[in-house]
Amino acid sequence: MSTTQGLARTAASAPARSAGHHSRLNRAQAGAGWLFVAPMVVVLGIFLFLPVLMAAWVSVSDWNGRGAPWAPGVNFVGGRNYADVLGGQGLAARDFGVSIRNNLYYVILVVPIQTALSLVLAFLVNKRALRAKGFYRTAFYFPSVTSSVAITVLWLFLFSASGAVNAVLGWFSINGPNWFADPDGLIHLMLGGGDGPDWLQAPGLFGISGWEWLAGPSVAMTAFILMAVFTTSGTFMLLFLASLQAIGEETDEAAMVDGANAWQRFRYVTLPMLRPTIFTVLTLGTIGTWQVFDQIYTGTRGGPAKTTLTPAYLSYDAAFVSQDWGRGAAIAFVLFAIIVAFTALQRLILGRDNDRTSRRIERARLQATAQTAAHTVPGGSAAGPTIGSSDGPS
Amino acid sequence: MPRTTRAAATSLAAATLLCLTACSNGFSSANQTPIASESANTNPVTVLIGSSGDAETTSVKTAVAAWSAKSGIQAEVKVASDLTQQATQGFAGGKPDDVLYVSTDQLAGWAKNGSLEPYGDQLSNKADFYPGLVKAFTYDDRFYCAPKDFSTLALVINKSMWSDAGLTDADVPTTWDQLEAVAKKLTKGKRVGLAFSPEIARVGVFMAQAGGGLLSQDGKAQADAQANVDALTYVKKLLSEGVAAFSSDLGAGWGGEAFGKKMAAMTIEGNWITGAMTSTYSSVQYTVAELPAGTQKGTLQFTNCWGIAADADNKAGALSLVEFLTTTQQQLTFAKDFGVMPSVQSATEQYKTDNPAMVPFINGAQYAQNLPSMAGAADVLKDFNSQLTGLKGKDPKTILASTQKNLQAVAG
Amino acid sequence: MARPDTSSRYPGERRGAGHLATYVVLSLLAIVYIFPFLVQIANSFKSDEEATTAGMSLWSPNWTTAAYTTLFNNSNFALWTLNSFIVTIVVTIGRVFFVSLAGYSLARLRFPGRQGVYLMLLAVMSVPMVVLLIPKFLVIKSLGIYDSYPGMILPLLVDAAGVFIMKNFFESIPVAVEEAARIDGAGTFRTFWSVVLPMARPALMTIIILSFQGSWNELNHFIVSTQSPELTTLTKGVASLASGQLSAGNQYPIKLAAAALMTIPVAVIFFIFQKRIMNASGGAVKE
Repeated sequence: MSTTQGLARTAASAPARSAGHHSRLNRAQAGAGWLFVAPMVVVLGIFLFLPVLMAAWVSVSDWNGRGAPWAPGVNFVGGRNYADVLGGQGLAARDFGVSIRNNLYYVILVVPIQTALSLVLAFLVNKRALRAKGFYRTAFYFPSVTSSVAITVLWLFLFSASGAVNAVLGWFSINGPNWFADPDGLIHLMLGGGDGPDWLQAPGLFGISGWEWLAGPSVAMTAFILMAVFTTSGTFMLLFLASLQAIGEETDEAAMVDGANAWQRFRYVTLPMLRPTIFTVLTLGTIGTWQVFDQIYTGTRGGPAKTTLTPAYLSYDAAFVSQDWGRGAAIAFVLFAIIVAFTALQRLILGRDNDRTSRRIERARLQATAQTAAHTVPGGSAAGPTIGSSDGPS
Repeated sequence: MPRTTRAAATSLAAATLLCLTACSNGFSSANQTPIASESANTNPVTVLIGSSGDAETTSVKTAVAAWSAKSGIQAEVKVASDLTQQATQGFAGGKPDDVLYVSTDQLAGWAKNGSLEPYGDQLSNKADFYPGLVKAFTYDDRFYCAPKDFSTLALVINKSMWSDAGLTDADVPTTWDQLEAVAKKLTKGKRVGLAFSPEIARVGVFMAQAGGGLLSQDGKAQADAQANVDALTYVKKLLSEGVAAFSSDLGAGWGGEAFGKKMAAMTIEGNWITGAMTSTYSSVQYTVAELPAGTQKGTLQFTNCWGIAADADNKAGALSLVEFLTTTQQQLTFAKDFGVMPSVQSATEQYKTDNPAMVPFINGAQYAQNLPSMAGAADVLKDFNSQLTGLKGKDPKTILASTQKNLQAVAG
Repeated sequence: MARPDTSSRYPGERRGAGHLATYVVLSLLAIVYIFPFLVQIANSFKSDEEATTAGMSLWSPNWTTAAYTTLFNNSNFALWTLNSFIVTIVVTIGRVFFVSLAGYSLARLRFPGRQGVYLMLLAVMSVPMVVLLIPKFLVIKSLGIYDSYPGMILPLLVDAAGVFIMKNFFESIPVAVEEAARIDGAGTFRTFWSVVLPMARPALMTIIILSFQGSWNELNHFIVSTQSPELTTLTKGVASLASGQLSAGNQYPIKLAAAALMTIPVAVIFFIFQKRIMNASGGAVKE
């Protein structure tokens, strides 16, 4: 019995269920729901959520790093740490502003590029007719597999003033910059450099002038951006690959048979079905890029001229080096708020609707299957309406 | 979120926190009594080190084992994967390692929050340490820990480039003008005469030589003093003339790399450069000379100390171990094993005899300055460094004025 | 309507120039992606000096295995590898199991507090790990599992990102399948285990790869949860080889040698499991 017919049966018979049956089902489901989610809640709750609460307490206390934060002698200080970081024109606020600016450009550039690139790669290595798929997939996944320390060290090599990248640029007669030591912002460079117009010089948000806010990512930061795209495109390629595999080829083939060209197939058939995965990749990407730390720690430590300083690194520095734990925690939680805001914004823009999307996917699949069946049966007739076609049977 | 679940979550959190409070150790306030008067105990002593490689690890382990045999107290050396994090964990958890490496950067933070024991005055060999080093590890008028070794900055010269330019031993610069002239002679094509990292930790030598420095003798901020302006103006002059360059502008990670890769004929670096030269740039023949004087001789020094944790469980044992590790003989052994300079004055002559090439470094101890290291100073220095990279196009007065503002906020 | 081109094996497959172009593009990209790894291997066989001065060349006149000898002799490499394997394998198995259960529950099962749990998941992912290091250390210490295998393994058994991925994946599986199973009388677990999970094979294979890699390359957590030399893993051990000052030079060969060796198991796992991402069955929506 095919599921198509089974589905029809369900739809027909749903209203006939009794209320008692439903509530028993619901209770069983609720029980199972909690049971399934219990290990996650326990592990994440104890080892991550609890520390989050502790860190939140530290951000509003004067804990100085000696002894436990809940020991007697640690006092509540209200929003003082947050005020230091967000308000005022002091060094703390200015450093925080610079780090936010740097990270903002990083996020804006990395997330779209890595999503697009990983999608393209997944698409390319998913083609059924491609030989040595395994080799290509492993090749693209390699950077993701290597530890970030090794990649950072390697990147410092490649992007040094006399490194491979500048050598390759030299073939095209381009004089490559001294990547990791160049603090000039890209936007500044594109606008011709210099100190900018006078009306942008006054200290603004966080004590940083408007001109500085417009600097764009520095050349050094750009090297990190390229590194991020390089290392994460493999991981997200994997997610897209899994998704493409799960979608299967019937829908695509059906559209192909209908005469849709590659671009139309991609835009109107594949892309909508990839929506949940795109959402996953965008969310994970946003969360990940806002927390960039390892590469900065191993590589430039905030230099040159603080243009690779990020809030996560600033938080580490304030806490572990300056022993200013309250400030470090406050920075982390402001960052948390920013991440939540960005994720919510993303959700709004993409207009997620789980059930509708999955039902749409399922409908497309059914139509595709029916189509394929129709075409493989000799002289067969369509079992149902074809996708997007308003013609009668061929 | 449904009320029941929120309530459940809150009570779970509260219950766990209560349990943690009950389970945690109580912490007494900082121990004021001298270590020596504590009753002797035989708890094992643990030492946390951040090793630069095999040579250092083996050497320290041998020394600690020797002490252990002599004193009868068990001792263990732990090599950190991340010294700062592991030390911090120890302090926060109440069970720190007894002895650990502490740098001048870390001192202020750990002294301020009471994690370190100020045992300096109880050292039997206290008078033997260089006064400048003692000052580096004095916080709030208390001498916290015994300096374990130190480095100063000196002028490192490429021998073959020197002789190729027709220079002799007599031409080693002793004044600023001579340095400029020599650097000019050594600048040829893409190679510059002098290279150094764009940071206060190198450029600061000129401020010391001009009779300035970021802090006055009594520890007050004086970043905008005329002496400092003169120093930075001189550096700017060297950079503009093209006879000197920042190592980053040459594409090197630090002055030593620029020197080793033959991008510069001279560099200003500390004694750690000898290790790097031997292991990585062995083809370069070099010699070391004391830095030239401005109005006086000046250089910077960098040092680490053996910190003892305030919550250590065998402080008396730790103190005894530190005294053992800082004896003249032991320090000379360390110097031989992994190239550091002894921090005690009684070892000076022997060290000079054993390492004639390092004499300029150890002579620098006579007139070396420390960089500011009080709480918050690290951020001020980082800010200074970030402005320094653009020195060629900036006015030294502006850089120093903003640094003065930041420094006053932390130093007074 | 035009007849499909049945001359090729697969309908619509373009032959000739387009096909070749794909191979060229892919091969160029593959070279770019593999190149850093090749440089890494090459440098691990050079001397310290050569690795710094001639870091980019893939060829060296003086190959040396000095870095590898130091790695194996002067460190407890075998023990570190064993520890890494123990932790990684247990964590991977645990993660695959718990993460798919949780993901399914959040995607398909209705239970009170579901929104709250999902929000906690997002919150936990959004807080920078840096600020959680010391609190996590204190929690592990207070629970008494510090410096032990449970302390290393338990906190890693579930990762938020994995749950997130599985949840989104399960949501894209047609509800029809589950409803059909329920009609046929299957309980929730049966539906999950025998019907939905096989359909999520691609995602499962992905989680296996990501979990293995994540726990294998984990460093911060091991610094947080252990201190005794017997429990040192590869990542922690390698980090301790050169954590000090500049005085010994860059030590690139030894760092890169260790990193190269560490990549091998993950690459192997990836190669094995990436093939299985192919959805052989195509699911229950077949004739």
